[in-house]
Amino acid sequence: MSLPSGTRNYTYAQDMAILRTKTHWALFIGFLVLLLTAPLYLGNYWLGVANLIGITLIAAIGLNLLIGYCGQLSIGHAGFIAVGAYTSAVLTNRLELPFLVGLICAGLMAGLIGLIFGLPSVRVKGFYLAITTIAAQFIIIWVINHWSITGGFVGIKVPYASIAGFEFRSETSQFYLIVSIAAICTFFAKNLARTRVGRAFIAIRDNDLAAEVMGINLLYYKLLAFFIGCFMAGIAGSLLAHWIGFLNAEQFSLTESILYIGMIIIGGLGTTIGPIFGVVFIRLLQQILTVEIVPFLERTFTMLPAGFATGVTPMLFGLVIILFLILEPRGLAHRWALFKSAYRLWPFSY
Amino acid sequence: MAELLQYLITGISVGMVYALIALGFALIWKSSSVANLALGQIVLISSWFTYAMLAQAQFPVWLAFPLVILFALGLGWTIERFALRPLIAQPILALITVTLGIGYFIEGVVTFIWPWSVDALPRLFPREVAHIGPAVISQEYIWVVGICLVVFALLTLFFRHHKMGIAMRATADDQMAVQACGIPVTTVFSRSWMFACVVAAIGGILIASIGGITHGLVQTGLKAFSVVILGGLDSFLGAVVAGPIIGLCESLGGGYLTPYLWAGVKDIIPFVIIIIVMVIKPYGLFGEVRIERI
Repeated sequence: MSLPSGTRNYTYAQDMAILRTKTHWALFIGFLVLLLTAPLYLGNYWLGVANLIGITLIAAIGLNLLIGYCGQLSIGHAGFIAVGAYTSAVLTNRLELPFLVGLICAGLMAGLIGLIFGLPSVRVKGFYLAITTIAAQFIIIWVINHWSITGGFVGIKVPYASIAGFEFRSETSQFYLIVSIAAICTFFAKNLARTRVGRAFIAIRDNDLAAEVMGINLLYYKLLAFFIGCFMAGIAGSLLAHWIGFLNAEQFSLTESILYIGMIIIGGLGTTIGPIFGVVFIRLLQQILTVEIVPFLERTFTMLPAGFATGVTPMLFGLVIILFLILEPRGLAHRWALFKSAYRLWPFSY
Repeated sequence: MAELLQYLITGISVGMVYALIALGFALIWKSSSVANLALGQIVLISSWFTYAMLAQAQFPVWLAFPLVILFALGLGWTIERFALRPLIAQPILALITVTLGIGYFIEGVVTFIWPWSVDALPRLFPREVAHIGPAVISQEYIWVVGICLVVFALLTLFFRHHKMGIAMRATADDQMAVQACGIPVTTVFSRSWMFACVVAAIGGILIASIGGITHGLVQTGLKAFSVVILGGLDSFLGAVVAGPIIGLCESLGGGYLTPYLWAGVKDIIPFVIIIIVMVIKPYGLFGEVRIERI
């Protein structure tokens, strides 16, 4: 932990505090106020974008715990999100259970499916695990498309989320719901990484054989990482289902899974702030590209080919992922850390 | 009986194509231990390119195919030079995700140029159906088996006798030692990517001539991974043996299980096989079991 000069830790609580100085507190409270008053000056449209960012963030935090901290590559994250979304949809639509039950069950169900497909991780890693999770993605989507209870190719309608009689109908109310859950998840992930579990994850990521020799139960911790990661995916899926109001398996394609990996790589693997940067970056880019830039270009240059609108987004995202891996593999979080230390040390940067 | 024979023949011939695509994977994995997850997209873009040459530009077959081969060589060279070369000696996570990024990019290029996303290749093989015993199948399947066997033979000869083939096998064995012997390792990597793309392109053309060009070709490329997994990642023999096995499972399972399960069970069988192999025998039938040390 880097602190401004002259700030010393005298107690354990001080050492472990997330917000250590008055500047931290001021910035944090300022950020909170800005975030919670956002519905006042963001229009309905941008509030919708913010909601999508919040939902994506929850899933990305889970994926970051799995890939960034525990080193278990999962390319089927959209599949696990789909499990959560459909669990919640089926419970609230077909069985008419309350939203909270659906939310929790969505997380548990996705976690359980994640455990099943994470089981091979005990024996294999790297490419083998990547392939297993791709297979998981295809199997999950196939089951969803063909099982009658999920509505199949037609899709399924999802009612609004509601807690104790209050219905989250407007974007504003959903914004507060999503932001509070995303905040809980961020806080949980930050603290999990500093506990025994988080240190075990990092040990497994760096060298799982050495970790096992040190007495870390590989089976338990790898499956725990899969469970937590997929649990968060399930929660995100449930929120997504109630936010969109209509589900179709096409929303959970393999490209979406790849995009999630792209997000946490761009943000910075194995950091708390990383997923936030990555998710905001990718989702904003996506939104601005598809809503502002591409229609503008199509209007200006009429001779553009018909596939321009649908083709340019994946091209650009692919390029962004490749370039980040080559030029800044530690992601935006590393840039942020560099900026912070430059600010702290100015004007004597040594 | 006729039905069974039909399933057997189509299964083996589709399986051969899977094996071909899988060889494209194994080539790269063996020489540079990069897992190429963009395989499906490479298959997709090369079949679309073939379509552009044959149907859009109306080139004759003798001109179109060399052009496709050249395109695949160029594609492989470009990918290796600009995306993989800067990442030599990076952790495996970076290597896998960069190929995912490449795949994403190629998919964008494909939707950019050919936005209608479904089309049929012009017929490459004679139209008449063939009679084998009681079974009636279209001739394409037999041609596909023939072409695959020829490519397998060529690849085997190349690895056995050609200088570059031997250098590739040596690189797969020990990169440091190879470099010490004066073999340019980066050239070997580049060549292996180029060959892999050519092999994948041939596989793509064959499978597209059977089933048309759809977005499902990406999934075909991913199905080839089940061949790699079942056969063992670093084994050419494994790929050649496992390909027909996967093809047979797919066509027999699709033929006989569909009445009992949901439709489209055919598409999911290779992925179920992946999971089963992972749990039972993760290194495959012929794969080398890696013993790790700290």
